Amino acid sequence: MRVFRVMFGMEWKLAVRGMDMVIFAVAMPVAVMIVLGMIYGDRPAYAGASYSFVEQSFGAVTAVAIAASGLMGLPLVVADYRSRKILKRFKVTPVSPVLILLVQMLVNLLMSLIALVLVYIVGAVCFGLRVEGSWVLFMGAFLLVAASVYSIGMLVGAVSPNIKISNLLCCVLYFPMLLFSGATIPYEVMPGALRRAADVLPLAQGIKLLKTASLGLPADHMLLPLAVTAGIAAVCGSIAIRFFRWE
Amino acid sequence: METIVVEQLSKAYQETQAVDCISLAVERGEVLGVLGANGAGKSTLLECILGVRRPDSGKVSILGMNPVRDRKALFQRVGVQFQESRYQEKITVGELCAVTRSLYRSPADSEGLLSRFGLAGKQKCQVSGLSGGEKQRLSIVLALLPNPEVLFLDELTTGLDPRGRREVWKCISGLKQEGLTILLVSHFMDEVEALCDRICILNKGRTIFAGTVGEAIAASPFTHFEDAYLWYTDEEERQYESV
Repeated sequence: MRVFRVMFGMEWKLAVRGMDMVIFAVAMPVAVMIVLGMIYGDRPAYAGASYSFVEQSFGAVTAVAIAASGLMGLPLVVADYRSRKILKRFKVTPVSPVLILLVQMLVNLLMSLIALVLVYIVGAVCFGLRVEGSWVLFMGAFLLVAASVYSIGMLVGAVSPNIKISNLLCCVLYFPMLLFSGATIPYEVMPGALRRAADVLPLAQGIKLLKTASLGLPADHMLLPLAVTAGIAAVCGSIAIRFFRWE
Repeated sequence: METIVVEQLSKAYQETQAVDCISLAVERGEVLGVLGANGAGKSTLLECILGVRRPDSGKVSILGMNPVRDRKALFQRVGVQFQESRYQEKITVGELCAVTRSLYRSPADSEGLLSRFGLAGKQKCQVSGLSGGEKQRLSIVLALLPNPEVLFLDELTTGLDPRGRREVWKCISGLKQEGLTILLVSHFMDEVEALCDRICILNKGRTIFAGTVGEAIAASPFTHFEDAYLWYTDEEERQYESV
């Protein structure tokens, strides 16, 4: 436990010093929240809706942080530590190299939790955001979506033979999910065809869970998104563990 | 007492036999040099001994323990310096020492080691900003932080200037006097000659000579170790050709 604490403190410090995740996982979702708030103000989500457009977008915007930390931060750091032989070096210490992977997952999760808090504060203070649904359900959905996206990121990090390939895979996964899953461009303003395409993206399903939980909507259509999100976490997670390359 | 025992270790990659039935033993307090050209199988041998790579056959024991099965207990007492170590970007010397110390039950004092290896006052410097020699000395400090009884050193002075190499040699001689058991992998004759009690010359994954530097010279027609070394490796080539 002491090793874990020291290592977490160190990797956290390095992540903050590196700035990448501070920008992409924390500043970026806050910026998206501000832009959406400036565009839509306190307008309702649609004529006669009981919640505002900003409230409807809250869950989606928090997913920007999950996508950045899980599809950029995590796989790139894993590939980087492998190519620097940091993972291999752990194999000749009393500590398992799995520990540093767990530490990295928590570092990235903490980044996205900080983003979540900041996005909420900005939304609540500037644009009258309220979470009508259950915070407990919302946090559950948030952690499940994080598990799902991080397992995709871990899979990329696990099997990429070098940083170039992991970079490429990260871009291929991150940018489409960022733009077309409803995280930045709201799902509700997309044309029908784009929406159907978005539905294929795992993050779009996760965002449905986040929205339903934060708005307190009835959960009767949530079985598919729930199954997709949990299924991806299980499948990608197991493949990543099975095929992880330490060097 | 034998601290490191390797028995008939073999490891092949596809067609090439990287390590071919190598046996060696290192006594407590002894420095063994494993010598060989690039591609002779030195690194593979080291990785198999450390349990990082799984050998095809053979047995390894360090301090009476199996490096794979008893990894956690063993590496409390063993220090390893890998060839060209790279660390986290933007990590400082002090941070790297602190996080390395946290891995061990009774680690050495990092300040003492840093000043002993000429790195006093570098705690706040980023590792990436150190010179080649400083980085190399830092990698030795890190290998010594567990307070090890056994030390593995891989290509200790590659990339160092003559002065830097001499400094590192002096450090290692000091450690030897303190009774540390050391296995040193190198392709520098002078280094091995200066530091090692016994040597083991590898060629194409096989041991072609084992003994002291003096014995190696005596058994060859030459008076310098470097000439003797080349003679041994050429001898091997000639035998291959005549087969």
